[in-house]
Amino acid sequence: MTDLSDERASQAITVLLVEDDAPTLWRLQDALTKAGFQVTAAATLAEARASLTKGGPKVLLTDLQLPDGHGIELIRETRQRFPETEIMVISILGDEESVISAITVGATGYLLKDAFPTDIAATVRDLVAGHSPISASIARFIVRRTQKHPEPPPGPPLDTVKLTPREIDILWGIAKGFSYAEIAEHLGLSRQTVPGHIKNIYRKLEVHTRGEAVFEALQQGLIKL
Amino acid sequence: MEAEAKPGFPGRERRRLRLRASRLAQYLLVQLLIVAACIFALRRSLPEPPSSYLVSGFSLKEGGAERSVTLPHYTSSRFSLNDPPLYTGHFTWSSRETERAWSVYLPRFSNGVEVAVNGVAILDSRRDPVANRPDRSVPEIAVIPASLLHDGANDLTIRLFVWGPLTGFLESAYVGPDDILRRYYEQRTLVFVTLPVMFSAWQAILAVILTIMWVMRRHEPAYGILAAAMALGVAQAFLPTAVDPSQYSRVNAVLITSAPIEAAFVLTFGILFLGGRWPRYGLLIFAPGLLLVAVALIGEQALTSELFVLVGVPAIGLFLVLLALIVAQSVVKRQDLASFLLGCAATIVLTCWAHDLLSVLQIIPDDRIFVARLSYSAMLVAIGAGLTWRFARALNRVDSFAGRLVTQVRQAEDKLKASFAREEERARAAALALERTRLMRDLHDGLGGQLVSIVALSERGDAGAGIGDAARAALKDLRLVIDSMDDIGGDLMLALGSWRDRAAAQLRPHEIALDWRVATPQGLPVHPELRPWHVIQIVRLLDEAVTNAVKHAGAQRVTVSIETLTDPAGSAYGRITVEDDGKGFVLTPEGEASGGKRAARGLRNMRNRAARCGVELELTSGAGGTRVRLTLPQKFPDSDTAGA
Repeated sequence: MTDLSDERASQAITVLLVEDDAPTLWRLQDALTKAGFQVTAAATLAEARASLTKGGPKVLLTDLQLPDGHGIELIRETRQRFPETEIMVISILGDEESVISAITVGATGYLLKDAFPTDIAATVRDLVAGHSPISASIARFIVRRTQKHPEPPPGPPLDTVKLTPREIDILWGIAKGFSYAEIAEHLGLSRQTVPGHIKNIYRKLEVHTRGEAVFEALQQGLIKL
Repeated sequence: MEAEAKPGFPGRERRRLRLRASRLAQYLLVQLLIVAACIFALRRSLPEPPSSYLVSGFSLKEGGAERSVTLPHYTSSRFSLNDPPLYTGHFTWSSRETERAWSVYLPRFSNGVEVAVNGVAILDSRRDPVANRPDRSVPEIAVIPASLLHDGANDLTIRLFVWGPLTGFLESAYVGPDDILRRYYEQRTLVFVTLPVMFSAWQAILAVILTIMWVMRRHEPAYGILAAAMALGVAQAFLPTAVDPSQYSRVNAVLITSAPIEAAFVLTFGILFLGGRWPRYGLLIFAPGLLLVAVALIGEQALTSELFVLVGVPAIGLFLVLLALIVAQSVVKRQDLASFLLGCAATIVLTCWAHDLLSVLQIIPDDRIFVARLSYSAMLVAIGAGLTWRFARALNRVDSFAGRLVTQVRQAEDKLKASFAREEERARAAALALERTRLMRDLHDGLGGQLVSIVALSERGDAGAGIGDAARAALKDLRLVIDSMDDIGGDLMLALGSWRDRAAAQLRPHEIALDWRVATPQGLPVHPELRPWHVIQIVRLLDEAVTNAVKHAGAQRVTVSIETLTDPAGSAYGRITVEDDGKGFVLTPEGEASGGKRAARGLRNMRNRAARCGVELELTSGAGGTRVRLTLPQKFPDSDTAGA
């Protein structure tokens, strides 16, 4: 693909970017605008909500710690109102503490704040194309949670009950640094099906409603009646 | 009273003596009151039937001589079984009285009587074993068969049998309607027959209880001794006096004369129970009793009776006095309820004993009513109450001891818990300190240096790429430190997975391809002993290899190969190789890089890191590129010795 066709493909793609640190916001906005995305910037939760009243963007990129609230709220609201919107968290460290909780309310992966501009654009483009990226460290966190422990492990709650053994195998492969092709080869899959599996994994980790969240918490023994 | 003259504290000593004196005075006053109450009670005569039924005038035929007497009458003889004195009197009966039965009622006599009306015997008290005890004031009543009576004067003859040790005694004789006389008879029976039986039963129970107590607590002989005293008392009460010689008569005699032994036992109990010291010749108190027993076994019955009066009774009195003194001393010293009760009882018995003695000696005109044995029941009640009181107090002490013990155990437990918590806290603090040291070193090695370099670059003014690179490197290192702290369960592949992400991101802007080759799906062997600091060192080694390829080699491709090998011994070990296709560098013979000081330092750093976690580092460089090969140990070292 040439740059020109990239730009054309990105033409209709609207991105709502929520980040309270101005330099970081500029940096991300520049990278995305240069790649041809139509970026709306918001520095607070209120601004982001105001922007959402005009309609759902194709992509929501949000920081978690906002001056007037938490990005998790925004992700949940957006997910409920605009199911088509692809959501990503902007994170400094890409640590499981922030990323996993965002995934459980509907985010798909994360974007590092110091990523190179080309990587930023490429990640968003992949996301729109239906490729849900998953990092080795997040995959590692998820598969560690699928292992049975006598005590609930530290970190945010996560329900992995719905994952199939195949999906868990794929996550193990990613956690150990294997490429999609290698994973497909080891597991006897077609390489093209791996991104679909990953998308499924994200959807299965999502907790859809409040009631479901309570049910999940009960299942994991986080709440005792 | 003990004479504890402590010369150092005359004031205190005087105060104590005064306190004891006042206690003694109080105690004596109470005993005096008790004596007075006893005398008052004893002076009150028992109710008598109307005097109209009293037969007062008798003619006495004794030893061939006949004379006229009035009752009460004491005989001169102490033994008259062969020729008993015969009292003959008269009473008037009218045939109108046929509707009601008439009786002869004898309130008090000693030792035995045979009553005849108009020459026909109607009562022989010798058939009643209880009546044969001279120490019991047993009354007798007998209904006169109506056929014996006739209008006008009727004869009443009473034969008085005396077998010692006292002289014979006939208090009075009543003849009248049975329904009137029997009432008085019943009253006396209640006091002098039924009550003693009740007390004896109580004594028997006490004997059993005390025996059990002694059996369970052998180290307290006081209970055993009291049990013996009680058992003797019971035996005495229920065994009949033998009038006719029988095969058991001697045994009976022994038991009946055992009262001094019983008294000696009670005295012994008093000494032991009240905690007094056993006197050296203490066993002498059993001498009178044993003497009597010996005489009873071999001697004549009369002699036994004589001796009982002459030796036994005074001995009992002496023991009572001794007991009273011991108890008084204990009361003064300890002021406890048990001794006080025992003291009062001793006073009562002593008073009654004195009364009986005076009565026997005919010093007081008391119709020979003996009350010592009866008053002994006061002693029994006191002993029972005292023992129960002691028992309850001991239980309370046990309770409070148990309570104290529980408290102490709880305190010890709390202390232990606290010290355990302290120890745990200390261990946690030590672990935290150790972790902090490691983290500090890790941050110092990477993040610290990079931040300092950012500061330096920004101060120089030519910001640009330098600051960005250093800051990005700092972030990368921060991510590495955080990542390596995660629990990866000894699987180094999990750490390498995230490192691949970061390395790829680092290489992408430089358009260097990252070729990732894992020989087997397993990758590397699992090391349960793998710790975060091992991971950090290994990942930093790999980072440096990649950074060198980016900065100095001008490479197009970096290849990372991960494989598991097997040594000749058959154990598996891992190997990670990082190769680039750059221009390489020349190593000096000492293994140092020739590319200037910085490169040299970088290489030395890598060797250090490898040594710290037991990794074998192999560096080859040439025109075709550079190869860094890490051969992992089979077991990672436990402590960070090389880098300390």
